Amino acid sequence: MEYIVETKNLTKKFGKETAVEGLNMKIPRGEIYGFLGPNGAGKTTTIRMLLGLMKPTSGSVHVFGKDLKRDKLNILRKVGSLVENPSYYPHLTAYENLEAMRKIVGCEKARIHEVLEIVGLTHAAHKKVKGFSLGMRQRLGIAQALLNRPELLILDEPTNGLDPSGIIEVRNLIRSLPRQYGMTVLISSHLLSEIEQVATTVGIVSKGKLIYQDSIESLRRHSQHHIAFRVSHGERAWRSLMAAGIKTQFQGDLVTLSDQTDDATVATAVRALVQDQIAVYRVEEERRTLEEIFLQMTTKERAV
Amino acid sequence: MMGKLLRVELMKIRRKGFWFLTFLGPIGVVALQVVNYSVRWDYLRTLSDDHWLFYLENVSGFTPLALVLGIAILTSFMASIENETNAWKQLLALPVRKTSVYLAKFTVLSGLLFLASVLLCLATLVYGLTLDFGGGVPIIELLEYSFYPFFAALPILALQLWVAMVSENQGWPITVGVLNVILTYSAFSLPDWAFWKWPTLLNSWEEPMYSGLMGLGVGLVIYMVGMMNFVRRDVK
Repeated sequence: MEYIVETKNLTKKFGKETAVEGLNMKIPRGEIYGFLGPNGAGKTTTIRMLLGLMKPTSGSVHVFGKDLKRDKLNILRKVGSLVENPSYYPHLTAYENLEAMRKIVGCEKARIHEVLEIVGLTHAAHKKVKGFSLGMRQRLGIAQALLNRPELLILDEPTNGLDPSGIIEVRNLIRSLPRQYGMTVLISSHLLSEIEQVATTVGIVSKGKLIYQDSIESLRRHSQHHIAFRVSHGERAWRSLMAAGIKTQFQGDLVTLSDQTDDATVATAVRALVQDQIAVYRVEEERRTLEEIFLQMTTKERAV
Repeated sequence: MMGKLLRVELMKIRRKGFWFLTFLGPIGVVALQVVNYSVRWDYLRTLSDDHWLFYLENVSGFTPLALVLGIAILTSFMASIENETNAWKQLLALPVRKTSVYLAKFTVLSGLLFLASVLLCLATLVYGLTLDFGGGVPIIELLEYSFYPFFAALPILALQLWVAMVSENQGWPITVGVLNVILTYSAFSLPDWAFWKWPTLLNSWEEPMYSGLMGLGVGLVIYMVGMMNFVRRDVK
């Protein structure tokens, strides 16, 4: 498989503290790689090393199959980035900010209007960034990252500070990038729910180590289903289901089915309850959320 | 690459008061002499036979201080442009060499200071001509007093830029700036090797050109050291 980003034993130490340790990250072409981890796990340090802002203590970074140490400028020409909080020059307008960048990356002027259009900032193009709201600044940051039509887009917490409709817009935008422009995207977040909705591959980092890296589907397979019944009489329902040969747990008026959750069993259970004159208010599927899996993985790591 | 970066830097210093300060410095230095000469011209004319030269010396009494003050302020403005929203990480994640970025900043600052020197030269000449000193204008001395201080102050600029570019805490560049101003202010009691003395063009050889040449040489050395240090550092 072709990897757009590949790190080998990437390690970064600050004095005695190890921020990133033996990280082997692999991002296949065209994927949206969700880089997950609690705050302070080493996500931003890793991203800074991918962009050549920080030099690794040991290990190597290859982007587009080239060594970052040797081909830094050629690599960066095809990379767009938004690291942590967006950086901008507050005394300049949004347009001027992009123009300052355009002069360096060397795309045509029309591209500035294009990216402003993409992030929905056309109306504020000639206003000073000083007066922008947090969400508008974040949009400008994304516009800056898109300016040079990157092949690899690195977004560190891109939905920070956006309102719900802004989050959805950005999410849709990110989703469309690999399809429309063949971009590969690395998006980091400490919120799994955020990653879950866009990423196709996930890397989970905790305490500087990559503890999980695979497709989002395999991560989902870790999640188990429960079927919860909310009924009029919890204990009676539990007995009645027991009699029908279905093992459940109950707590108050909530009866949970966890071992067999196939359609037939659920149908049998409902029939049994109805026949025994127990009112069924709700039948809900409960997934053990990825959030829980994520928490479990990262706390397990912490306990070691 | 350098051309592009210079244009970008010039764009970024818009609306920040850079140009205003560049004009204010030299105009201010000459304005002091406007006050001096309009108040006590009758007294001043008794102090020397060569009125032009005496006037140039008077002007240059304030040049070093204005220059070093200007360096401190412009440099800290320059660094604040990037530090305000930590734009370093955005700028240096672009396909640019760190050495080019450093050189672009240095070039813009020294360009502004050179422009200030040109303005000083012109303002000195214009006001001097209105005073009707008689005799020809000492062009050589006028140029020396206008431009040698610029070259002699390059070590201070290089040092100040270095500190401003690598400090996360902007207290450091301010401290260095204040020290530079104080040391320049007390230049008369400093030994010849102390580069804060050089912008005054005073040295034991009594040859202003030496101050300029030493400034250029030592300035380049400090510039190189600062740039190498900047390149080696991680971007926060």
